[in-house]
Amino acid sequence: MGADHRAFLEAVLPHLDAVWQVARHAAADGQDPEDLVQETYLRAYAAFGSYRGGNTRAWLAAICLNAARSQARRRRRRPWEVPGPALLDVLPRSRADGGEGVADVADVVIAGLDAETVSRCLGLLPEPQRACIVLVDVAGYTAKEAAEALGCPRGTVLARVHRGRRKLARLLAEAGVAHGQP
Amino acid sequence: MDSHDRDHRLLAAFLAGDLDPATARRWDEHLLECEACWRAVREDRAGHQAAQVLRQPAPPGLADRVGFAVEMAAARTAAPRQARPGIRTRRRARHDRRLRWRLAGAGAVAAGLVITLMVLLLPGGRQASGVPAAVAAVARYAQAIPPPAGDQHSYSGGWATPVEVGRPVTVTAGGQRIVLRTWRLGGTEAVVAVSAHPFPMPARARGVSGRGMAWSARWGRLGLYCLNGPTSELVAAPVPAAELAALAARLPPA
Repeated sequence: MGADHRAFLEAVLPHLDAVWQVARHAAADGQDPEDLVQETYLRAYAAFGSYRGGNTRAWLAAICLNAARSQARRRRRRPWEVPGPALLDVLPRSRADGGEGVADVADVVIAGLDAETVSRCLGLLPEPQRACIVLVDVAGYTAKEAAEALGCPRGTVLARVHRGRRKLARLLAEAGVAHGQP
Repeated sequence: MDSHDRDHRLLAAFLAGDLDPATARRWDEHLLECEACWRAVREDRAGHQAAQVLRQPAPPGLADRVGFAVEMAAARTAAPRQARPGIRTRRRARHDRRLRWRLAGAGAVAAGLVITLMVLLLPGGRQASGVPAAVAAVARYAQAIPPPAGDQHSYSGGWATPVEVGRPVTVTAGGQRIVLRTWRLGGTEAVVAVSAHPFPMPARARGVSGRGMAWSARWGRLGLYCLNGPTSELVAAPVPAAELAALAARLPPA
């Protein structure tokens, strides 16, 4: 540590909103996202002296995800784990696979679903897909930045985002159908 | 990678605009004919739209909290420590005053978390100075709270209703679990620490006559006042020792 903290804050605080989006969804159960954001910035400050530049936003996201994982390990939980059997696995295959006679899931009024339902369904996605969707769709990272933060190729991020979005849409469609039933 | 995976990746690349014009045109044509791929595109868009519902702005005080935590970390690691008030520039002094005010609310929380880390790293038992770790942790926490503007810490006439600053913070020090709350009374801020175990009496502390298990001590500019009952309560505030008991009596019961 020992880097000029004012220079550090000038460089990193503009990305607070993006880090907040990541922290909200990376925080393990029982973990305060605000604590995770603070931990992220303290870790970043500790490493700022050796930071060689590059995409600061991606760097912060990587630190945030690592901090969430290490805190989750301390709590003996994993932040990006799929909690129990995924909803898709218990759906009738004809629905999950978009079989005949089933309404196009994109026609389901997703806008009518509340953020809590979306968040719950997002939590059912496999960790890699969830991480990519949070970074790209929620936090507004580019695929390149997300790839840098996650340490994987950009094409992998695009594929995970695509798969994750489709699965999320189907989960939400199912949630919408379930809510609409008497 | 099987053909299914390849199709997924190609479609993802198409949606991201990554394909060359000729390949993209072929996908456009394909989508007009292939119901499955068209459904995949619609699902992709629906999922994208749904995920954006989750976006929420950062809480208003978060930037201040982060800034304060970093300032604390910087101050803790600064070497050599300097910044005597007399040699500060006016600009720096103004900056510090503004910072204190801006961070007064979030400061208690952030400072607590930073101190928590410090405290957790400390070994249990007594510190090198002979002050028990639990007492030292409370004193350090109280020292970390930014003082109100003007640096006036007199409690005289401060019979205003106590107002809690920030949120309670829980730390562990010397094997004791301690809940810390910060209160503002007039121009003074006081930290009240509560533990199920008695706060050990420092070597230089004085017993308070007529109050059973009570003791008082000084820690730099801070006065410490401990009263042991069903729980142990330690009040830390930058006031003269003679005023501590009166101040403690004004604070809400733990």
